[in-house]
Amino acid sequence: MMRYIRLHRIFIAQYLKRLMEYKVDFMLGAIGLLIAQGMQLIFLGIIFSAIPALKGWRFEEVLFIYGFSLVPKTIDHLFTDNLWMVGYRIIRKGEFDKYLTRPINTLYHVIAENFCVDAFGELLTCILLLAYSIPKLNIPFHWHTIPLFLIVSVFATLIYTSLKIMTSAISFWTKASGHITHMLYMTNDFGKYPVTIYNKAVQALITYVVPFAFTAYFPATYFLTGKNPLFCLGGTVIAGTVLFLLAIFVWNRGLRAYESAGS
Amino acid sequence: MESMIYAENLRKEFKKIIKEPGLKGAAKALFKPNKELITAVDNISFEVPAGEILGFIGPNGAGKSTVIKMLTGILTPTSGFCRINGKIPQEDRKNYVREIGVVFGQRTQLWWDLALRETYSVLKEIYQVPEEQFKKRMAFLNEVLELDSFITSPVRTLSLGQRMRADIAAALLHSPKVLFLDEPTIGLDVVVKENIRSAIRKINEEEGTTVILTTHDLADIELLCERIVMIDKGRKVFDGGLSELRHNFGDVRTFRFELVNGPDFKLLDYRRRFKLTDDDVCAERDGSSVTVRFDTAKVSVEEMISYTLSTVHVKDLNIKDVEIEEIIKKLYRREVSL
Repeated sequence: MMRYIRLHRIFIAQYLKRLMEYKVDFMLGAIGLLIAQGMQLIFLGIIFSAIPALKGWRFEEVLFIYGFSLVPKTIDHLFTDNLWMVGYRIIRKGEFDKYLTRPINTLYHVIAENFCVDAFGELLTCILLLAYSIPKLNIPFHWHTIPLFLIVSVFATLIYTSLKIMTSAISFWTKASGHITHMLYMTNDFGKYPVTIYNKAVQALITYVVPFAFTAYFPATYFLTGKNPLFCLGGTVIAGTVLFLLAIFVWNRGLRAYESAGS
Repeated sequence: MESMIYAENLRKEFKKIIKEPGLKGAAKALFKPNKELITAVDNISFEVPAGEILGFIGPNGAGKSTVIKMLTGILTPTSGFCRINGKIPQEDRKNYVREIGVVFGQRTQLWWDLALRETYSVLKEIYQVPEEQFKKRMAFLNEVLELDSFITSPVRTLSLGQRMRADIAAALLHSPKVLFLDEPTIGLDVVVKENIRSAIRKINEEEGTTVILTTHDLADIELLCERIVMIDKGRKVFDGGLSELRHNFGDVRTFRFELVNGPDFKLLDYRRRFKLTDDDVCAERDGSSVTVRFDTAKVSVEEMISYTLSTVHVKDLNIKDVEIEEIIKKLYRREVSL
């Protein structure tokens, strides 16, 4: 475990060196990122100014849920972005061979190799939304609020990451699965708003099938109201754990089906 | 003692979807795929004792890379198994790959955007090479593969020859017991090829590293390998020493001479004189110089020479040794069978 943490530091350092190797690209990328995030904030401002309240949800509550949804999304984005490349390129091109000839866990290696600084933009949005909404809400605060928040964030991130692992692993059989990942991943947009605004079918989908509701809405409502901790937090922990175990299983089965590419 | 590499009935099948040409064919295959089972490797068995350099040859698409990928644990065999260094790659991958080195000539495992040195420092961590040993190892690899002049350059700026040397060094950093080289000399010039061959030889001699090498350059084979395994269409067609290959497939020899008078060439009719077929003998003229290849199993060297000398005026005649290349060409064209 310590070894993997040490390795991760080295991989991230390599990534940052690589980033700075191409100075122009790095600068333009950073500027582009700031513009994109600024636009997103303006866009959110416009949406929420038009609808100050949603089906009984106060404006600040909606912002809090939205901000909360960005916590796991950002962590996942920051650390596991390379999984996208598995479905789009790495397997199709046979580049996965490299990971299989190294004495470290393949899934870890793929994930650790990249580090997505773009996520810092999301992090900024996330902090701004939470910092704006929390003081305006009467959030019951206990000694366990922060630890619970941290724990639930980890499991919520696992939901994101596991779905990405599973859909990427499909490409071990189909050679390419980037679009499947994309399709599933995009349903996370539903999770950013209170689920009660959707019809029953969508609610069932994002609660039980692709449980993005557990990455934001349910845990966030617990922190807002202090009600239903077992379902709201326990659900996140269970969904994260089950999906992660399933993802590992699918990934390992996929390794056996990997066919490489001619050379 | 058990062999370093032991492969038994290795078999690999791939499902392939047959498509008709064009966009229409692609669309049809999407909805009604016509599947076919391709056997890339068909029950291959062989052994390699520790410390040997084995040449693995065969025409393009014969299944060489597929075998290498099964041996290195990248692919899982459809049936059969291999045991290398006492381990089954597919069952104990992480421990197994610690003690092997792999180079795919067509790919690189180097960190593309960074100085070459960075790759080695990451690999040092991945393979947990202690600092002291790492320094010694780098010094040794520097000496053998001459990395010094480009170790600070970003990998993307290396020439193919430099990149290949760097990749071989990367595969050897953790002092593996077995080294797999898939076309390590592909696309390289003669000098770099020689450098790489002598590095392989040196590592094999000094450290007793077992080497499996695939190549299309038969000079690699003649200069490095004691033994070869040849495969074709997924099947093993030959397994033995080079001398055995020469013996089994007929001694093809070549002799070359200059004619005093070029047009005399038509006086030479080896086929009729020795009742040979086109496969047994082949004479070609280029200006006044003539090259004759023939099979010594059918006609002796003396007979050929004395017939030539008695028929035409010759200056500057020389006889070359058996050419492995000729044998292998014949095999690839399936002109000889087993």
